Amino acid sequence: MDLFFYLGPIILMLLLLGFVTYAILFERKVIGWIQNRPGPNQVGPWGLFQTIADVAKLLLKEDIVPGKADRALFKLAPIIAFVPAFAILAVIPFTESWQFGDFAVGLLYYIAISSITIIGILTGAWASNNKYSLLGGMRSAAQMISYEIPLVLSVVGIVMTTGSLDLNDIVLAQKKVWFIVPQFLAFLIFLIASLAELNRTPFDLPEAESELVAGYHVEYTGFRFAFFMLAEYVYVFAMASLTTCLFLGGWLPLFGLTMIPGILWFLLKFSLVVFSLFWIRATMPRLRVDQLMQFAWKVLLPLSLLNIFLTAIFKEIPVLSSFY
Amino acid sequence: MFGLLKGLGVTLKNMTKPKVTYNYPAEPIPVPDRFRGIQHFDAEKCIVCNQCALVCPTDCITLTGKRNPDPEKKGKVIEIYDINFEICILCDLCTEVCPTEAIVMTNNFELATYSRDDLFKNMQWLHDNNQNIRQENMSSKPPGAAGGAK
Amino acid sequence: MLRTEEMLLNMGPQHPSTHGVLRLVIKIDGEIIREVDPVVGYLHRGTEKLAEDLTYTQIIPYTDRLDYVSAMTNNYAVVHATEKLMGLEVPERAEYLRMITMELNRVASHLVWVGTYLLDLGAMSPFLYCFQDRETILNLFNELCGARLTYNYMRVGGVKWDAPEGWLQKVEEFVLYMQKELATYHDLISGNDIFLQRTRGIGIYTKEQALSYALSGSNLRVTGVPWDLRQHQSYSLYHQFQFEIPTGETGDVLDKYHLRMQEIEESLKIVKQVLDVIKEGPIMGKVPKVLRVPEGEVYTGVESPRGELGCHIVSNGKNKPWRLKFRRPSFYNLQILPELLKGENISNLVAILGGIDIILGEVDG
Repeated sequence: MDLFFYLGPIILMLLLLGFVTYAILFERKVIGWIQNRPGPNQVGPWGLFQTIADVAKLLLKEDIVPGKADRALFKLAPIIAFVPAFAILAVIPFTESWQFGDFAVGLLYYIAISSITIIGILTGAWASNNKYSLLGGMRSAAQMISYEIPLVLSVVGIVMTTGSLDLNDIVLAQKKVWFIVPQFLAFLIFLIASLAELNRTPFDLPEAESELVAGYHVEYTGFRFAFFMLAEYVYVFAMASLTTCLFLGGWLPLFGLTMIPGILWFLLKFSLVVFSLFWIRATMPRLRVDQLMQFAWKVLLPLSLLNIFLTAIFKEIPVLSSFY
Repeated sequence: MFGLLKGLGVTLKNMTKPKVTYNYPAEPIPVPDRFRGIQHFDAEKCIVCNQCALVCPTDCITLTGKRNPDPEKKGKVIEIYDINFEICILCDLCTEVCPTEAIVMTNNFELATYSRDDLFKNMQWLHDNNQNIRQENMSSKPPGAAGGAK
Repeated sequence: MLRTEEMLLNMGPQHPSTHGVLRLVIKIDGEIIREVDPVVGYLHRGTEKLAEDLTYTQIIPYTDRLDYVSAMTNNYAVVHATEKLMGLEVPERAEYLRMITMELNRVASHLVWVGTYLLDLGAMSPFLYCFQDRETILNLFNELCGARLTYNYMRVGGVKWDAPEGWLQKVEEFVLYMQKELATYHDLISGNDIFLQRTRGIGIYTKEQALSYALSGSNLRVTGVPWDLRQHQSYSLYHQFQFEIPTGETGDVLDKYHLRMQEIEESLKIVKQVLDVIKEGPIMGKVPKVLRVPEGEVYTGVESPRGELGCHIVSNGKNKPWRLKFRRPSFYNLQILPELLKGENISNLVAILGGIDIILGEVDG
């Protein structure tokens, strides 16, 4: 047990790096297929080593700190951005037994810790002393704080149903029916808000390539840039895992196919979520910054409040209450 | 909202469509016969009329002729014929005005080198560039198409 | 009150969405633009001055490089002006071939616009879809004249090449395909709520503004002025064919998008009609071996995908023009930008700039 206590996170870290490596490849492949091209296919068979080559390039690059930058903060920022991204993985239940920190307020922990990343992004944006990155950082902070609210409120319905913030309990409560069915509205809100939290298209304003060149990490190169990218993809991993746990029944099998191990079910649902993230990215244009804010406060927030209200009412209706 | 879903449908449908990219440079790109590539020069045919050098809009052709060494024959033979591919825009005007098809286009287009000096091609090089020569040169040359040379 | 300060932001000449080497010096207050100062000239090659030392035939390849996404129209502009000054007769088949290539080039050019505009707004896939269809057109041109971008196809008095065997059928197939394919574009783009949100009510200007800034082409038509040189100063053989001049209502960028999509449709219609009447025949008129243009002056305007592409030639009777001036529509259209951007959010900047549809090769000449 003790050994696992120390080795577990390292194994997870390695798995995570593997995931990030192949998530990036998968993303580029999916977008390639959507655009009728094969995607990366030159490095290794089927492009399997493309990301490894990219990462090696990033690591070998000269580490440039701009002359006018705030050196200490500039170097600290990628770490602040990445550490919480990794820390939140502790509470994700991959299967019944594969979970690192099983505690009663897992969901709350996830949401609380993930907000810390914004500080890292804002620090990096400020410390770069670049106008584009500052604009990107400001957008990022405004966006992530705004979308955190509908994100949290959308899962309140689930918490009301299960009466628990423990992700294990939430998964187990979906034995009968996944929460995507009774909480469909919440699912939509959660999906949109999580896209915004992940800074992905159509909400990739902080790094809006066509406006801000690269947004908050415009001055970053080499492995510091790699850290920001890593944080972003670890969040994709974490958010897709959370979506799977909250709405798609985690490791629970479909149609009672219990002979397939839970981890495979988890991975299957997880990949589906990740695919849809990439799919949306390939299709959508980007929102405008003021519309983004309006959308969070005027559309998503009232809707998520409505969802809470509806859940409360349905809980009292005799026929429906078995679902809630 | 419905519009967004429609868009997602379009992108999903495209996933199954065949790929449209070329596996270049592993496989050569098919080019049509009329493709304007690096010129091939045939010194035998050249009558040193200087039309190509005159019509060239970027002045990339340099040529000199000398008297025919065979005293029985009249006219000149070519001595130096260089094309500077740093500035050649492959506009096709030189092949268009050439009365004897001494200079013709080929379908070769790979000119990238590591040095600018390599882009300066002399007569020998142009003569050896004899693969994929364009079939259709003078055949469809419109009457009076010659530019304002001379 | 917190102290706020205006910030000077230098956008370009190396920026992903200035479509080349346009530089914009922007004064921003937060994300609100207070002032814009466009700086042009980074791609200036002095085409007009160079032309004074070139024969009329030699100018044609240079025009390819002005508006490099619709080089056929540029070819035509200079060829047409020269023909008019010389009073040359151009064979019917040559004119038809010119019209087919020009209209196909307009389709290609508008496809580039749609694609890059969506890319500016952050959508990747439409760009590649547009380029796939454009690729078909470029391949057709490649078969016709041996180049994909710098065609050098037209000559004073006709065209260089006749259509190769089966080429006209291929064009017809493409027209039919494209007419259907447009529905896909509408599915993908026109109904997309985010796209509508981004473009509706953005970059509006009035008819009076448009006229006072000498805007032309779709930038003018979007304000409701049905002005199209193909009909109003008919050149080539456009008067033989039926086509509409689409106009806009509100004048915003969304309207420009719909207008350009309709122009694609109209262009395809023209190509279809030309294909129905084109006959075998000579492709080159009676042209002297050496082009000596009589002394005089001529101005001709043609409707390029971006607006009125004018060509003003002053000849002193030699084989080279004494002065040649292009009225480059992108350059004129760009002038309204500072006025449009005042008070806008910085994320509208690319939406408005993209909407104008500039080609830097043409802006800088």
